Amino acid sequence: MLHLWLGGVEGLLQARELLFLGLGMLIGLFFGAIPGLGGATALALLTPLTYGLDSFTALALAGGVMGAVPMGGSISAILLNAPGSAPSAATCLDGHPLAQQGKAGLALGAAASANAIGGIIGTVSVLAILPIAKDLVLLFGPPELFLLAVLGLIVVSTASRGKMLRGLIAGVFGLMISFIGYNDVTGVLRFTAGIAYLWDGVHLVPALIGLFAVAEMINLSVKGGAIAKDAKTVGITSVTSGLLETFRHWRTVLRGSLIGTVVGAIPGVGGTVASFLSYSLTVQASADPESFGKGNIQGVIAPEAAINAKDCSCLIPTLAFGVPGGVEMAVFMGLLVLHGMQPGPLMLIDHQVEIYGLIWALTGSCVLASFLGLLVARPLSLLTLIDSQILVPVVTAVALVGSYAVDRNIGNVLVTAIFGILGYVMIRFDYPRLTMVVALVLGAAAERNFHQTTMMSDGNLSVYFHRKVCLVLLAGMAALLIAPFFRGFRKFRGLPK
Amino acid sequence: MNSRVTRRRFVLTAGAARSLLAADADFPARNIDFIIPKAPGGGFDNLVRVIAPALEKYLPHKVNVVPDNIPAGGGGKGIGQLYRARPDGYTIGAVDLPGSFILQERQGGAGFDLNKISWLCAMGKPEYFCLAVGANSPLKSFDDLKALSGTRAVKFTSSGPEGTAYAATVVGANLLGVRAQLITGYKGSSDFVVGAIRGDGDAVIAPVTSIRPMQQSRTVRILATFEPRGSFAGVPDAAALGQPELSRILLDRLVGAPPGLPAGIKTILSAAFAKTMADSRTVDLAKKFEVDLAPNSADQATARVRESAAFYGKWKKVLS
Repeated sequence: MLHLWLGGVEGLLQARELLFLGLGMLIGLFFGAIPGLGGATALALLTPLTYGLDSFTALALAGGVMGAVPMGGSISAILLNAPGSAPSAATCLDGHPLAQQGKAGLALGAAASANAIGGIIGTVSVLAILPIAKDLVLLFGPPELFLLAVLGLIVVSTASRGKMLRGLIAGVFGLMISFIGYNDVTGVLRFTAGIAYLWDGVHLVPALIGLFAVAEMINLSVKGGAIAKDAKTVGITSVTSGLLETFRHWRTVLRGSLIGTVVGAIPGVGGTVASFLSYSLTVQASADPESFGKGNIQGVIAPEAAINAKDCSCLIPTLAFGVPGGVEMAVFMGLLVLHGMQPGPLMLIDHQVEIYGLIWALTGSCVLASFLGLLVARPLSLLTLIDSQILVPVVTAVALVGSYAVDRNIGNVLVTAIFGILGYVMIRFDYPRLTMVVALVLGAAAERNFHQTTMMSDGNLSVYFHRKVCLVLLAGMAALLIAPFFRGFRKFRGLPK
Repeated sequence: MNSRVTRRRFVLTAGAARSLLAADADFPARNIDFIIPKAPGGGFDNLVRVIAPALEKYLPHKVNVVPDNIPAGGGGKGIGQLYRARPDGYTIGAVDLPGSFILQERQGGAGFDLNKISWLCAMGKPEYFCLAVGANSPLKSFDDLKALSGTRAVKFTSSGPEGTAYAATVVGANLLGVRAQLITGYKGSSDFVVGAIRGDGDAVIAPVTSIRPMQQSRTVRILATFEPRGSFAGVPDAAALGQPELSRILLDRLVGAPPGLPAGIKTILSAAFAKTMADSRTVDLAKKFEVDLAPNSADQATARVRESAAFYGKWKKVLS
């Protein structure tokens, strides 16, 4: 095993490979930071250009891109409330309030260090589980995936304490939207109102750009001033403090990294679930849950650690079975094929050195991008001092263009605008956007897996009680639902939280 | 009616002909959009992405061939968009059969007619299907599967009802006399083959190209192949199963352009595709994921559409 790991390192430590890794990292940072572009677009554009490269160099380039995208996404999420890609939307929830308080440096420092540590933990976990990767992937069938989706919804609902009813309303609305479009199980188009754009449902990334970036810009233009208008200066010197905060909250980093690793390894679940699940469980575990959404640094650390840990582990279903964990991985599979590597069980046997090279490239890029993120955090923090009259038109234009660029569809721009207004209304009336986003992400998957489970078991619900992973997930749900009553009881008895 | 050729009419006709010829000579002058009516990452998408860079090499002018995934509506939106595009050669698209026939039948609203599309070539030889189970399945042979079918419907994992695999499963099970119940909704062949390995269903009917790597890694066991002459040792083929019709269940991956494509542009595109299908690097790459590329013509592709339509036409009632 060790010789394979070293073979991967050796392959990567060539001048040409390092050059392409660095190039990929810079491209990843840029594409990650621009709302709507993200890793999938970068890889789609780069894949034909790798035609003339040898496979290892192409993997170094792709690893560089994929490892750096999350850091780029964190920067725009924190500073502008504009998630570069869907998983970064969770970072907006507390990262941007910190920027509004003049603590952008603190948030960026914490995000960069959580990114790097999450990436390293993710790599170590993947190296440990790669030999049993196939068994892990096979543990999650439709019943488990359905319960996982329900667990995600419960976690988020119970995390929105104090505004549970509004959280549920937002969640139900998100679920309703997620059911629009083509039903994979029945082959029927639903709720599309004859609009061809909606055949594929409401596209997630344009919706998130609207819900966060455009909503924030509307809010900012209504209020006037700069993002950090209440702060006399931006806390740019607190980058180092942000780095230290990550170490201080090592439990949050570890939890986020483990969630990212496990969720990433489950085929078809994706990074958005990982980041929001990590965020919500951190809120659940916190002694001060009310501070989340208002600028709690753990709300930045938790999703960031999960996103990068997930990046490594989502290679498992992609490489082991050719089942991509998300769009980025799907496009990456195209690059593998172009270089003569067919994802599937044989790839784990025939291309082991390349796989380890890719894992190291991802990790290296993630650490380098985080380092670069720390370096540029200070000048970038000054963005939060720019007046809204300049910032709003620029960010709104970038957001709308980015939304269009997702798949060059003008319908995306309309979705972004509609969700922008919706997001502003939600901010205005204090409805949690978190529950709506998670419902949007999980709704269709929950429905499909429920249907498939019903077909598998001929409608017998006892299937959920005969599978080990299902029992673990059911126990988790029970614990989450009981926890608030337990906390209430302890509070009533005057016991510590 | 005055049939006299006036000087004015001659000049106008000659001008129009010249501009058409010039358009053909200039073609392609800008990037070509290659619609893939499937999500990124599947075998279909991969094949287009392998072919696209080679196709650029064989076009008379240097332009990019840009793959564009439009998977909505089970692929109906992508094929509809291809059908309604301007027939100028700048929009081409990949279409799989027989799934697209079912799409056409069920989604009248998608508004396309496969018989009117200008077919350019086939991306590889038609592929046969086979019937497989997970390596840990209690079903050891086709006879075991038949015996199970006698007690209850055999559960097959498959794509949505408008997928090619769905059609192959329904028709294949019918020909084999196996009572089938389909677990649908999997996204792509890798996904539903993994579903069968995991035990979501009893078995899977999938293209040989998707199953062979899994068989080589001993992840699946093949119980029957629909090939006329089996390529798996000890596995009954269509002849041995007493159902030669099984070998007519084929997966075709064709490339088409909107109806009314000018003959000159069609010739340019077909010739470029024929060269691409013979390009040694592209052939090698395709072979790595079990697709046999071979030069073929627009007429051969059109003939495949007719043959497929004739075969699946008989099963229309069962499929829709």
